[in-house]
Amino acid sequence: MYIVIAGAGRLGLVLAKKLKEDKHQVCIIDRNELLCNKLAGELKGIIVICGDATYPDILKEAKIEKADVCVSSASSDEDNIIVCHLAKELFGVKRTVARVNDPKHIPLYKYMKVDNPVDSTSIIARVVEEEASFSDVMSLLSIKKGRLSIVRVDIPEDSSVANKPLKDISLPKNSVLVSVLRGPDIIIPYGSTVILPGDEVIAATLIDAEKELIRTLIGKI
Amino acid sequence: MQSLKRQKNKLLTGMRYIVIIGCGKTGKNLAHEFSREENVVVVDKSLKSLDSLGDDFNGKKIWSDALDINTLDKAEVKDADAVYVLTGNDNLNLVVGKVVKIKYGTKKVIISVNDVMKKKIFKEEGLTIVNRTYLIVEVLKKCISS
Repeated sequence: MYIVIAGAGRLGLVLAKKLKEDKHQVCIIDRNELLCNKLAGELKGIIVICGDATYPDILKEAKIEKADVCVSSASSDEDNIIVCHLAKELFGVKRTVARVNDPKHIPLYKYMKVDNPVDSTSIIARVVEEEASFSDVMSLLSIKKGRLSIVRVDIPEDSSVANKPLKDISLPKNSVLVSVLRGPDIIIPYGSTVILPGDEVIAATLIDAEKELIRTLIGKI
Repeated sequence: MQSLKRQKNKLLTGMRYIVIIGCGKTGKNLAHEFSREENVVVVDKSLKSLDSLGDDFNGKKIWSDALDINTLDKAEVKDADAVYVLTGNDNLNLVVGKVVKIKYGTKKVIISVNDVMKKKIFKEEGLTIVNRTYLIVEVLKKCISS
């Protein structure tokens, strides 16, 4: 794929290098001339363009009309929105992704039809919250912008589901147990599988059902 | 409630409701001009800029970030006869102008944009765009034409 990244900040650079490793064609745009000169020497096989990506002629220079994806990772939300808007409306780029700096600005990204606004601040806040709370529950993965999540739950001694076969446990709608980790064993659960205290359970759940699922499994929250 | 009151007020007094976003030199002067005969609300994220309107300004002032949709709701953009977006940031003006048009369907959205290329592109999308440099050039040209 050909991917154009606007903004060579920390996020833009890490992303560019990663995409390059995955054998994608990458072009990165930044308005800081000193930085661009430095990057042009350092980044092998990545096209570096110096200029303001909110200007159509700079996007054209990056051959954005050929891009499969346009990513805007600047620290200013209005710039990210304009870059994605121009990429889509003017150059027909199919997929636009942008970093959201202030979660309050998300509705504007939606009105301006940015395909994937990624709310970096909220994502980091959630990770930090999870790390800090030492809970028995851990979010392993979230898919489809967080609508589906895969969670790991440690089953406590006093859990209401402990020592019961799965068929007697009523899980909330839109959630399913994927596997049970017991010591070195990985068990794919069936109706007859009995959940024991100390088991680690991996479950997939729609985000609306997540709290209820956790409540069912550990009896709190 | 506020909205009803405003509409009633509009009918009684014939005053239009005008929202100005960005209280720089242009926004400030425009706000003063309008506030003599219309209902005016000025939005800016700098308290200092809003204070520069002075004590004799009889419009409403909102100290907030225009990129936050709550600010636009608080300014009751939905009732506005016209919205001016006049900050010094072209991209912000374009985004706010477009969103006002899309979300509230305001008929008259006037924004200031200094880049000619961007002006051309967004003009086709239904915004009224004023370009400072272009205006000055036109005036300068006229100075020797008569």
